[in-house]
Amino acid sequence: MRMKLTGKIFLWASVLLLVLWVLPWLYQLISLKGYSSPFTLYSCTVHDFTALNRDGGKELRFLDRNGNPHGEEAQPTFYASVLASKGTLPDTLEGRKVTLEEIERNSVIATSDPKDVNRTKAPVYLLMESVPVRLELQDPEEALVSRRDGIYIYRLADNALLQGKTDSLNTALRALDFAFPAKLFAGNPSHRKEYDEGWLVTDARDRVFQIKQTAGVVSVRPFPATADLGVSFLLVTEFENHATLAYMTGRDGFLYMLRPDGEVIRTEVPFDARREDLLVVGDLFYYTVKVSTGTGERFYALRSEDFSLVDTMERAYPQGFSLPGIRFTSQDDSWVKLRLRGLRD
Amino acid sequence: MIIYKEWLKTRWVLLGILLVLGAITFYCFLNLSKVVEIRGAELLWEALVGKDTVLTEILRYLPVAAGVLLSAAQFVPEVAQKRLKLTLHLPYPQGRMLLDLVLYGLGVLSVLFLLQAVVAGAILSRWVVWELVARILRTMAVWYLAGWAAYLFTAAICLEPTWKMRALEALVAAGLFVLLFKSPIPEAYNGFFPFLLVYVLLSVSLLYYGVARFKEGKQD
Repeated sequence: MRMKLTGKIFLWASVLLLVLWVLPWLYQLISLKGYSSPFTLYSCTVHDFTALNRDGGKELRFLDRNGNPHGEEAQPTFYASVLASKGTLPDTLEGRKVTLEEIERNSVIATSDPKDVNRTKAPVYLLMESVPVRLELQDPEEALVSRRDGIYIYRLADNALLQGKTDSLNTALRALDFAFPAKLFAGNPSHRKEYDEGWLVTDARDRVFQIKQTAGVVSVRPFPATADLGVSFLLVTEFENHATLAYMTGRDGFLYMLRPDGEVIRTEVPFDARREDLLVVGDLFYYTVKVSTGTGERFYALRSEDFSLVDTMERAYPQGFSLPGIRFTSQDDSWVKLRLRGLRD
Repeated sequence: MIIYKEWLKTRWVLLGILLVLGAITFYCFLNLSKVVEIRGAELLWEALVGKDTVLTEILRYLPVAAGVLLSAAQFVPEVAQKRLKLTLHLPYPQGRMLLDLVLYGLGVLSVLFLLQAVVAGAILSRWVVWELVARILRTMAVWYLAGWAAYLFTAAICLEPTWKMRALEALVAAGLFVLLFKSPIPEAYNGFFPFLLVYVLLSVSLLYYGVARFKEGKQD
């Protein structure tokens, strides 16, 4: 009798959950209106944020915040090769001589997506050789495996623990007061880049270290300037111009730049990598940093030289209405779990 | 005794499931071993670490198929040949009888799934570290849970005496399977797994609900 009642409750509760899940989803599917945020960059010639929009419904133009239209010359570094092919690339920008090669070398793009931050990762990190025998970077042949008591190095080909290398690495880490287990690993183990900076790792006390393999030797480098930041997010940049080694966020919720020499620069950009998207488009003169959430986006123009704040702008997305209910996935993470769907989701 | 009866009823289906499960598992790992032989184990590491794959996706829906088949082999004859009334009149507590039938099915499925997981773990651990093997097995655990769910919901639909309620149960089952296979990302269900497990185990109550309605004489 009790099981019969349980079965009845189970069935109707399941139907209710199904309705709460499917109806808001269906409503959103039917009522969803597309919105595309215009591509926006800070201009080194107009000295304002310029957004790519249709000018009077006709051709695509960069509009500044006063609505003045500008052509490609408003973004001479972004369109450098196009302008150079037309012979209209200025030889002087921001009061200094520039070349196409210099502009291209200093063009940087970096992104971060909460979906990549909020996911369960395997504690296995492919380790590249940063000084390959041949000219170009090769695919990784070894991997770091992070465990509670240390970081182990395995050879991929035969899944063999490289005891000698592992001992050297952990001895070096302990000598630098590295607190196990490691928390964050950030790196780009791909040969499709100019050079390799290995892995940036935070220890149990959130201090940043670099683990890098050079000519077969795995070395560790501490970054003492990160000791008090409480680093909770790391993004290795590996840009051609070596301007930065990584972007970080600290416990104060701001974006920091880590220079290759270990210098740490705090920017005026608030950024929560677990909830917000980050897009950094930088050139010789300015970095445009876009931080976006589901409700809107904030733009920050930083001076490339020292990452000081030049200008800011905000843009809110049009908000729709959604039926309250439940859902199991989110744009902000890669997990399946029960979550409530609000009126604005 | 009832277990032996279930064994006699399902042994050929079980043999078929075992053969298909074994053949596809063998095919999956034969493919992977060829990849290792030709391109090296590095490729497996790179795929497991850098892409949203666990390399065994070909096995994804097998537990569901196994669950549906075994459940159908156990419960369709009970209903189609009107043996349920007879089974329920055996000198044995009815609730216990139903539980024994379900435990037999879930037990047999668990043995099959465990066998596949052990084989997978043993082969994979030759190529990659335990952390990656565990990642694969944790991801596959959701597929096995879907196999249990398929077994229980098929049984519930079989034992339910009216088509209206059967359709409702099928709808709930469809929603559950959409949820269980919603994300292909490895370990996406880690935190949610205990709740899903409890939900699937609670679905056993649907069988009792169906039997109770059958005894009350509900029919189309």
